[in-house]
Amino acid sequence: MRSADYVIKRLAFALFTIFMAITINFFLFRVIPGSAVTDLARVPNATPQLRHALTVEFGLNDSKLHQYFTYLWQLVHGNMGISYVNQQPVFPQLLNDLKNTIPMVTIGTVAAIIIGVFFGIVSAWRRDSAVDHVSTSLAIAFYSFPPQFLGLVLLILFAGTLPSSGMEYALAGVFGSVGFWSRLQDIGIHMVLPATTLCLTLYGEFTLIMRSSMLETLGEDYVLTARAKGLRNGKIVVRHALRNALLPIVTLVAMSLGWIMGGAIIIEFIFTWPGIGWAMWEAVSQRDYPMLQGGFLILAIAVVGCNFIADLAYFKLDPRVSE
Amino acid sequence: MSMLLQEAAVGPLPEVSRRPLRTVLRHHKSGLIGLGIILFFIVIALAAPVLMPYSPTVQSCAVFAPPSAKHWFGCDDGGIDLLSEIMLGGRISLLIGFAATLVSMVIGGGVGILSGYFGRWVDIVLMRITDYLLVIPPLAFALVVADVWGPSVVHVIIVIGILQWAPTARIIRAQVMTVKERVYVKRVRAMGASDTRIIARHVLPQVAPLLVANTVLTVAVAIYLETTLAFLGLEDPSSVTWGTILQHAFDRAAVSAGAWWTIVPDGIAISLLIMGCFLLGRAIEDALNPRLRVGHLSTRRWKLRPLVGLGPDAI
Amino acid sequence: MSLLEVRDLHVWFELPNGTELHAVQGVSFDLDHGERLGLVGESGCGKTTTILALMGLFPPSVSVAGEVIVNGENILGKGESLIRDYRWKELAMVFQGAMNALNPLMTVGRQIVEPMELHGIASGAAARKRAGELLEMVGIAASGADRYPHEFSGGMRQRASIAMGLACQPKILLADEPTTALDVMVQAQILELLVGLSNELGLALILVTHDLPVVAQVCERAAVMYAGKIIENGTTEDLYHRPRHPYTRLLFATTPDLYDDDDVISIPGVPPRLDRQIVGCPFQPRCDSAFERCSSEQPALKSLDVGHSAACHLNDVPVSVTAKPESSPRNGQALDAVDGSDDGS
Repeated sequence: MRSADYVIKRLAFALFTIFMAITINFFLFRVIPGSAVTDLARVPNATPQLRHALTVEFGLNDSKLHQYFTYLWQLVHGNMGISYVNQQPVFPQLLNDLKNTIPMVTIGTVAAIIIGVFFGIVSAWRRDSAVDHVSTSLAIAFYSFPPQFLGLVLLILFAGTLPSSGMEYALAGVFGSVGFWSRLQDIGIHMVLPATTLCLTLYGEFTLIMRSSMLETLGEDYVLTARAKGLRNGKIVVRHALRNALLPIVTLVAMSLGWIMGGAIIIEFIFTWPGIGWAMWEAVSQRDYPMLQGGFLILAIAVVGCNFIADLAYFKLDPRVSE
Repeated sequence: MSMLLQEAAVGPLPEVSRRPLRTVLRHHKSGLIGLGIILFFIVIALAAPVLMPYSPTVQSCAVFAPPSAKHWFGCDDGGIDLLSEIMLGGRISLLIGFAATLVSMVIGGGVGILSGYFGRWVDIVLMRITDYLLVIPPLAFALVVADVWGPSVVHVIIVIGILQWAPTARIIRAQVMTVKERVYVKRVRAMGASDTRIIARHVLPQVAPLLVANTVLTVAVAIYLETTLAFLGLEDPSSVTWGTILQHAFDRAAVSAGAWWTIVPDGIAISLLIMGCFLLGRAIEDALNPRLRVGHLSTRRWKLRPLVGLGPDAI
Repeated sequence: MSLLEVRDLHVWFELPNGTELHAVQGVSFDLDHGERLGLVGESGCGKTTTILALMGLFPPSVSVAGEVIVNGENILGKGESLIRDYRWKELAMVFQGAMNALNPLMTVGRQIVEPMELHGIASGAAARKRAGELLEMVGIAASGADRYPHEFSGGMRQRASIAMGLACQPKILLADEPTTALDVMVQAQILELLVGLSNELGLALILVTHDLPVVAQVCERAAVMYAGKIIENGTTEDLYHRPRHPYTRLLFATTPDLYDDDDVISIPGVPPRLDRQIVGCPFQPRCDSAFERCSSEQPALKSLDVGHSAACHLNDVPVSVTAKPESSPRNGQALDAVDGSDDGS
């Protein structure tokens, strides 16, 4: 009842946002003057046949409204169009790219959350101590580093030690690594630098938020109650403060998913990581609009989906939600 | 509870005056540092033509020459002095940062005020758009828009401005909704003041300090987005900005050449400016919304004083 | 031997600007088994700090002097790690406005069981059973143990925190403004519950409040605090009918009376800041009966009758000198020992 209501509400919101993304996507590419698909002359190396095929496929001679419904109809059937560059359907390619993006982004983000939460707790616990000052300063510094800068610095520092690119070969098993484990190891080594870069650019903000959230929580009356009961500091933090202080972190992670994906695009670009960000960058440089449009849509859906999951997590963590 | 405990241990809270900036600079050292950093870069950007030791377009040293007494930050792949480039690059980066922030403040402040003040369907429509912008991956969106429109400084400003107004709108809306309910605002409305007048005379001044804090934080995000778009090649390639300097370094194999000086000073300039904005913005926010709470965790031991010389009450 | 003896308790807070705030300035009192003591004063007078000190609950950067003797041992001398064993077992506490005293993410039952398990009173199913019994004792169904604090009303939350306070069968219950933020009906119920429990369990109670009449209803004895000191101490009978300090008298007078059309009287001015040295009587600037001596010399707490003491220079001078024949019968009664009830206080 209460929970079903909540889930349905959040689901409706997620679906609505995806619908908005699709619609804005359409406008961006078809309606705004000088937008990509309308202006077919901008498609590089377009043969008359391709132009004709595109005109038919997108219904460019029909009214905008008709085009919009055609577009929706195609999307529902998993058709995001044909890549201008390799003439292959966009959707399966992007799904494959997403498969490479997810592990790297997940590992980097989860590591950032763990490190951020840990240092946030330590900082709040030992407020105004040397540890707090060092940790907070570092967090502010890393928060300020743009990922491209951090990525390039890591590239220079670890040049020759850790691979900076070549992930696509690792995935394809080109290095002749035989067997599951050696291939996994290969992939793992390639993942170190990109995932570390992502982790470092994210952990600073998580630390700062966790610290202030924890400080706020430690000032709550139930913490004083816990102390009055005779609990030790460690138990007070773990049992009473931590869960309460984590609630804002869940919101923060959900809110910054869009930014995390943005960081992933740059990082994939720097480390030639064959993920969805790399695909989008390639699409930009080759003016492959269907690919770009599809990539944006998939990223948007992924972020909205993760937000939905975060909503559910929040619901699970906080009994007060939806009262 | 224990307000006494709270107040006693932190002392009287700093009064938030009507001039938040002054309060900030007096009570929050980090805000002062932040302001210092921002002013430093503004001065450098304004005075760049005078300060630049070499021309930013003409070769003045060897390709990838390392830092030296003559060229403090070394030279890039074209033999151009990097210090001069960074000084000049700050101009466009700052211009884009501030201009984009202005755009986002106008849209975000406007949407927030309209939405919070009028409520009802205005609020519903505007907030759904805001929700959408809040979850959409900003860089991907910027990539799409910048690419569709083509690279130019103005486009980048508009793209960043459009992307950044959503959080501002949210914050301002919440603030307006509380201001709207205050007694004196209600009284003024009952006296027949027009909406425009109420917003201009009563709502805006109340919301302004928060808008300032948010502006400073948005500048940081705008500059970050600018450097990133430039890095991905979505800015006019002929312009010199902090973003394009990094992009050139990466494109022209500075990494494999080991020319760290093409990356580090520029990256530090970007980071410092973002840090400055963050410090100042956070300090203003803290001053507006003091959340100084005393932690209830125990210290390991309290100090025990002997009962000597405590006056007539000592037993 | 008393159950609890507080001897010349001082608490200083170190302020960030380097100065000190002398929050509690030499407080002494005793508490016997089953006795109910009220600690009264305006906010900021040090009463909360005093009872937090009884459990060693200090904020960081604090210094303390004096003794808090429980079971013949000075627990202040023991330090945080040793004092833990005393907390909740000897003295438990019911906090102000139960809203935040309970962890919002934990069921009420878990929070009642927690101290039992910690102090080895009971564990597992036995502890849960006892939690249910405690809830029933305070008037909540045992099934309430599985609910979260936000599902309770304000009054029920306060009942639940009282149940939590009783978890380890303490001898002393400290209640800090237990009825603020509750509506009047619920306030009366909670006070009744506290009195009932105290009688039933032989529980000693310290009730901290700014509301002197509430103390008069619940407690046999009361100590009035002002500016970090106890300025009058006696049976509630004595304090009500024969106040020996103008502040006590004014505190009774400030309470609105249902049957009186007079405007509510408030004591003008604010208590002095405790981060500064106070010369003379701290109440002198607000006192309606002050004379020269009050601005130069600080009065000490002196015993006047059996179990009645006050810190006021008026008690040293003959009646005729200080009794002020002013218009309001509320003025100038410190020495007159007039029955206060006839003027509607």
